[in-house]
Amino acid sequence: MTDAAHAHGHDDHSHHAPPAGVMRWLTTTNHKDIGSLYLWFALIMLFTAGSMALLIRAELFQPGLQLTNPDFFNQLTTMHGLIMIFGVIMPAFSGFANWQVPLMLGAPDMAFPRMNNWAFWILPVAGVLLMGSFLLPGGAVAGGWTMYPPLFIQGGISYDLTILAVHIMGLSSIMGSINIITTILNMRAPGLTLMKMPLFCWTWLITAYLLIATMPVLAGAVTMLLTDRNFGTSFFNAAGGGDPVMFQHIFWFFAHPEVYILILPAFGIVSSIIPTFARKPLFGYASMVYATASIAILSFIVWAHHMFAVGMPAAAQLFFMFSTMLIAVPTGVKVFNWVATMWKGSMTFETPMLFAIAFVCLFTIGGFSGLVLAIAPVDIQLHDTYYVVAHFHYVLVSGALFSIFAGIYYWLPKWSGYMYDETLGKWHFWLSVIGMNIVFFPMHFLGLAGMPRRIPDYALQFTEFNQIATVGAFIFGFSQLIFLVVVLRAAKGGVKATDRVWEGAEGLEWTLPSPAPYHTFETAPVVK
Amino acid sequence: MMAAGKPNGKYRTAILLAVWALGLFIFTLYSGLK
Repeated sequence: MTDAAHAHGHDDHSHHAPPAGVMRWLTTTNHKDIGSLYLWFALIMLFTAGSMALLIRAELFQPGLQLTNPDFFNQLTTMHGLIMIFGVIMPAFSGFANWQVPLMLGAPDMAFPRMNNWAFWILPVAGVLLMGSFLLPGGAVAGGWTMYPPLFIQGGISYDLTILAVHIMGLSSIMGSINIITTILNMRAPGLTLMKMPLFCWTWLITAYLLIATMPVLAGAVTMLLTDRNFGTSFFNAAGGGDPVMFQHIFWFFAHPEVYILILPAFGIVSSIIPTFARKPLFGYASMVYATASIAILSFIVWAHHMFAVGMPAAAQLFFMFSTMLIAVPTGVKVFNWVATMWKGSMTFETPMLFAIAFVCLFTIGGFSGLVLAIAPVDIQLHDTYYVVAHFHYVLVSGALFSIFAGIYYWLPKWSGYMYDETLGKWHFWLSVIGMNIVFFPMHFLGLAGMPRRIPDYALQFTEFNQIATVGAFIFGFSQLIFLVVVLRAAKGGVKATDRVWEGAEGLEWTLPSPAPYHTFETAPVVK
Repeated sequence: MMAAGKPNGKYRTAILLAVWALGLFIFTLYSGLK
């Protein structure tokens, strides 16, 4: 594909060395440094919000209240959701984008390196606002990550801090998206047409457009919440003539595309990994691009499937039901193409490939339960039950999070210059995949049996499945310590990675030395 | 310095995207007023 083996930059003399110590990281405008910052931030937040999940599961090990009170339990579920979405999955994918997009495009850096620095460094501020609210009178927000009024209008000071944090995280995402779109549209290497780009760049380009098209809507919604809380407006306050359901419409107009913001980059990562370890080109590249774009477009016309239980005309229910089901078509195209890529391939099963295959299988389970929930009369029964919790954790844990693990194992040798420990990687994979299924599969049964979500106590007949889920949660949670050890060891040293790292790897990033030099592609490679 | 692609178009792309984002934010607030 490329003729760029000699076109990479070196640590040449035209650049000063980066400042040492903390100033390097505070002032960096280098896409690799900023990518690493995003990924470390996501890892810290993963353990933070993961600890909250373990506390939730420990409380639910048996009926009654053991470890928490109901208000603190609600704070835990709310913050777990907010942090996992805005503090783990999104920053992790931004980390991948920062590292990989310039390397894959043959660009020297992102289009706006200083804005890139800002986009990252306002994130920890939002993290501090969110986590710090636990220490305030009344504790952290407890109204659910969806921030629905009237609860979100009635809460204490932590609700204002959360609104500010959401604004900051949204601003960070918008700045990041502008950078990614501009880089992809304007800074590709000569000869690298859009339809020759690695699929990871395509998925991030479309994700960035989704972010630009939805984050301002969320910002508008939370601004109205803020004025309702502090300035006497009644956008969502029924007592003043407002409409709380309007918030749900505006919120889900943002939040359903957000679901695809959380999964499209995962599709890109998996589409990079499977061809490498199947030693075959990606099957149906063009159809993958069109399927990604179709999913993105459809994501704007399905939002009210989250609100069937609110009540709406039958025609609206039918529209949102069928439009939601339609998303299964392009998603099915993708799953078919991944399987077809593996078909008759010379497959090997290193850790990135194991996580990628688990992604294909388990994300599909999440997709199928999504189809079940798309059926309006079924959804009215299952709304706010553990079936929904099972569904979105199959999408976001075995989907988004597993793709992040896969991507880290895949590209870490290129980033650090050292191979990770394959044995520990496989231990991490098997414990994660087994633990994850033990946590979340029984939740389907709990939901079908009618157990509501977001409760600290439950009826006696739900005990067994909850106990199984809690055991699985601790297996899954503690197995992530293996991941931490693997990453720390591979970041510091070990067996040197080769330049190409993986036998079947294709693309510009693999033409660079391992680790990738601090400055790369200062002379653009030519892509044939 | 920018060797790859069409760097001169980057400011136009970025400004268009930023104006779009700001416009959508204001439009959302305006929708809430009605």
